Amino acid sequence: MEFGPGFWGPIVATVVMLLGAGFAYLMLLGGRRLTKERPSIAKRSTYGCGEEVKPEEVIADSEQFYSPVRRVFKPFYRYVQPWHSGKLNTYLLWVVIGFIVILVAVALVLR
Amino acid sequence: MIEIAPIMAVFLPLFGAFLIPIISMVSKRFHAERACNWFTVAILITTLAVVAAMGAAVWGGGIMVYKLGGWSPPWGIVLAVDGLNLLIALIVAGVSSLVAIYSLVYMRQETRLDLYCVLLLLVTAGAMGITLTGDIFNLYVFFEIMSIGSYALVAFRRKWDSVEAGIKYMIIGSFGTSLILLGIALLYGMIGSLTIADLAQKLGQVAASDVVVPLALLISGFGIKIAMVPLHAWAPDAYQAAPSSISALLAGATTTAGLYAMIRVVYMMFGAFGVGTMFAIFGLVTMVLGALMALTQRDLKRLLAYSGISQMGYVLLGVGLGTALGVQGGLFHLLNNAIFKVLLFMCAGAILYRVGTTNLDELGGLGKNMPITAGLFVIGALAISGVPPLNGFASKWTIYIAGIEAGKAVFSLIAIIMSVLTLAYFLKAINAIFLGQRPKRLQNVKEAPLTMLFPMMLLAVLCIVLGVLPSLGIDLVAPAQGALMNQSGYINAVLGGI
Repeated sequence: MEFGPGFWGPIVATVVMLLGAGFAYLMLLGGRRLTKERPSIAKRSTYGCGEEVKPEEVIADSEQFYSPVRRVFKPFYRYVQPWHSGKLNTYLLWVVIGFIVILVAVALVLR
Repeated sequence: MIEIAPIMAVFLPLFGAFLIPIISMVSKRFHAERACNWFTVAILITTLAVVAAMGAAVWGGGIMVYKLGGWSPPWGIVLAVDGLNLLIALIVAGVSSLVAIYSLVYMRQETRLDLYCVLLLLVTAGAMGITLTGDIFNLYVFFEIMSIGSYALVAFRRKWDSVEAGIKYMIIGSFGTSLILLGIALLYGMIGSLTIADLAQKLGQVAASDVVVPLALLISGFGIKIAMVPLHAWAPDAYQAAPSSISALLAGATTTAGLYAMIRVVYMMFGAFGVGTMFAIFGLVTMVLGALMALTQRDLKRLLAYSGISQMGYVLLGVGLGTALGVQGGLFHLLNNAIFKVLLFMCAGAILYRVGTTNLDELGGLGKNMPITAGLFVIGALAISGVPPLNGFASKWTIYIAGIEAGKAVFSLIAIIMSVLTLAYFLKAINAIFLGQRPKRLQNVKEAPLTMLFPMMLLAVLCIVLGVLPSLGIDLVAPAQGALMNQSGYINAVLGGI
């Protein structure tokens, strides 16, 4: 495929990526041989601020997973998210507003 | 035989739907409980073969015209098949067939499967009718058939959330189809014809100000079906509450048919390529809102629904650019979206089937228990995020380049940023479902059954093949793009010089 400057050879790129992935996997295997990932209970409690945490409890909250991004787009989430509440009258309002916006946009384009 | 292929492609699933109750009665007598499911699979695969058989006549640039009852247009109803609707018909028939195979096991524990098969065939018949008809009122009728079947399928499980989502979808969808009917009525009052080719010919002589209201009504009506922002609100609730096989059908087949109807009517019938920039802007808003909303979801199916909205934004952007490369990119992404979106919903269904939940906070470490599903989900997630060498990269890249070539580099930049966000929320999903600590209650979870894995594997292979050999995809969509931009050829073929 040619897209202006440069080129994209999908088969060559795929082979290179597969080789890269294979190389990375070999490095990972080598790393596992050299280091033993067995933290003692004392270490765990130190890094866990002294708290004993069960493995299944160490799961990131999915809604807060990208909290920095949420902070960046705070106005969006503050105003747009409540409009996705599941209430039918809100949804119908979306549709009515949408129709008016489309009508105005078409009128502007075809004027 | 090939001459009747267009009508066969519509009537096979339609008559199949009417035969199901009889097959159900007979199969109960002979204790062959799953005969309806196998019959549905057979009907849909036959429909796919019939559609594929039209390829030889159409891909060379030809247009097949089938006159119902031998009545010539504009008085009679016609089915007209060009490169554009053949591509859409292939997507609809292909997705429906795979959904039917997947449902063999996925829906096994449900009751009233005969009803499910009837509705699945009706939705397919409706989508095929929308795709192949050359008559705008016929298109509306098939749109209703597809929509009513979809409402019932969303509420199929009869739990409170699915019934609520089904009712919401029905009310908003009915509002949309009413807008379409009103738009068609205004056009009929103005032109006095219902044949798309005849309307296309005569609308060129009408003042632009006269078509504003019918055009806006039709765009809004079809926009609801494709969940274009700001007409998207019904989609996350419906996709989340529907059985995953139906979510896949909605995302892959009905949305595709809705988008086809929109571009056929706007570009081919009204010849309104000037509306393209408006589509591109709506596409950008759709992809941004979909991506940002997907980022914060706790439920996998709801995340996929918002992701589907976002991906439809890419299609609208590509098609809206109005250039040959843009339309090619948009249609290629439409094809790819049907592939990876169906794959991802099927993976969600496999998780739901084995674990019983798609809540991301209740999952984890399933990569060990369901390695094949995990691998297939990763392929789908990377493909939808536009990571090379998968199919999403090829179509998104085409759209980016088309945007730059059309002098709208800012549009391409926004699309690239949204691709990064897509990757971000899918990495969150992969991490939450397949990596990390596995809760004790998930230790005995098994891999999904082979019958469910088979269609998923097929779709994953398509993701890889169309990414590594993108020219295959471009070859598939180039006749569709040529057909979309050949309004005079379509008019001449259908009206035959009238």
